[in-house]
Amino acid sequence: MTRGLANLGAATLRQIEELGRMIRFGARIVMAASRPPFRWRAFMAAVYDSGVLSVALICAAGLTVGFVLGLQLYNTLVRFGAEDSLGTAVGLSLIRELGPVLTGLLVTGRAGSAITAEIGAMRTGQQLDGLRMMAIDPIHFVVMPRAMAIFFVLPLLSALFVSLGIFGAYLIGVELLGLDGGTFLASLEAAVEFDTDVLQSLVKSVVFGVLLALIATWRGYSCEPHSAGVSRATTSTVVTASIAILLADYLLTALWSL
Amino acid sequence: MTEVDEESGHVEARGVALAFGRREIFRDLDCRFAKGRISVLMGGSGTGKSTLLRMIGGLQIPDVGSLRVAGQELVGLEEAQLKAMRGRLGMLFQNGALLDSMSVFENVALPLREHTSLSETEIAERVHGRLSAVGLSDIDELLPGELSGGMLRRAALARAIVMEPEILLCDEPFSGLDPPNVSRIEALLTHLNRDRGLTVIITSHHMATSLRMAHRILLLRNMGCVDGSPAQLASSRDSAIREFLGQDGAEYLAHHGHELEGAEG
Repeated sequence: MTRGLANLGAATLRQIEELGRMIRFGARIVMAASRPPFRWRAFMAAVYDSGVLSVALICAAGLTVGFVLGLQLYNTLVRFGAEDSLGTAVGLSLIRELGPVLTGLLVTGRAGSAITAEIGAMRTGQQLDGLRMMAIDPIHFVVMPRAMAIFFVLPLLSALFVSLGIFGAYLIGVELLGLDGGTFLASLEAAVEFDTDVLQSLVKSVVFGVLLALIATWRGYSCEPHSAGVSRATTSTVVTASIAILLADYLLTALWSL
Repeated sequence: MTEVDEESGHVEARGVALAFGRREIFRDLDCRFAKGRISVLMGGSGTGKSTLLRMIGGLQIPDVGSLRVAGQELVGLEEAQLKAMRGRLGMLFQNGALLDSMSVFENVALPLREHTSLSETEIAERVHGRLSAVGLSDIDELLPGELSGGMLRRAALARAIVMEPEILLCDEPFSGLDPPNVSRIEALLTHLNRDRGLTVIITSHHMATSLRMAHRILLLRNMGCVDGSPAQLASSRDSAIREFLGQDGAEYLAHHGHELEGAEG
């Protein structure tokens, strides 16, 4: 019993230490971003890797989620004779919740894991040490452009997801199930407020971007320097970032509701 | 030819101890690497040769003791101070450690682009000069993954010397090279040392080459080290040292025994 408690305490302390190291690492990224030169070439390459290459996935996922939402919500609303509110229901659920959350989870799986694996492989191959020995800060050269790219692309991808989702629901509701197009768009326009809904969506995607950028780069940077270590770090990024995004989503929603 | 000061330790370790968990690597290690000299670190696998090089580069900080590099105490330095100190060092890693997403040219040019204001023409000239010195040409656009092990190490050596460091750390520079390239790298390192006064610290298992080029050999064993000139070590009465140097040590002594007598006289 005592040993169990001691182990639990030690594990908790280790986690707190790890969190402290990660926050300090985040501060070093922020400081690196404010120190010239800003590495535009590396940043644009990372935007391409994390953002442009995720566009197809985000479009396909957004459209599919829109199809499903359109179908499910129409079938539910029609029972109460409220099918005219389809635009409202789809718009609010996508803008407030599904857009930023699902984009965060999808980018975690596609780009976050890739960033962890790439930085982890560089650590394993002593490339980060090689940079240090050339008096080049690996956080400035390797980590910062990738972290900034994730931070930059997540809100854009989230907006793309929401747009495609609404379009998908429109196709199902209006073109397939015969709802009036004007009614769909009018209910959407009437329900969505910039201050509460669009801003909330933007804030969430920015926060998810910060969390993912920090977790993905830290896991790669601090992984054990062997192939199994890189593999564990990559898995850990997906699990930790997904949970962090879901938890942050709840906290932000609760704060917004106050 | 550059004057060398035998007494001046360019790198000095005093009472250094280091352990990875329960595994003790060094205990009360004292050693000195003279300025403008070629020193070769030898020892069996796991005796800490690469770790000592990493410590000199500030990549590994000793648990206990003092480590002075170019007159500066390394223990207790902040990362920014270590970065400034590393500007005076060049390091060849055992696996090359080239950035695998950049071409060979980009890799060698990287420190010049980061730390100098040279024009692209001057950078290209200097990069090609260093690549040619290590026997590489027409590989500018190749990625490190497209090179053989020997070519990779030579490209990494070109990167390590492109900024003309004061101290060059080489982890196994001859491993994986064919005999002509071993001679080429040996000649290059000897030339850099002789003409520019570069302090060279090498880890190597290449016994004959090490004995030939080293001014000083440090043999790591029992978490500490013994050191001496190649002739002194080759004539040691310690059977473990003689066994380690093997046939190459005996042959070296046969040809250079007179140097030892001269030194003793």
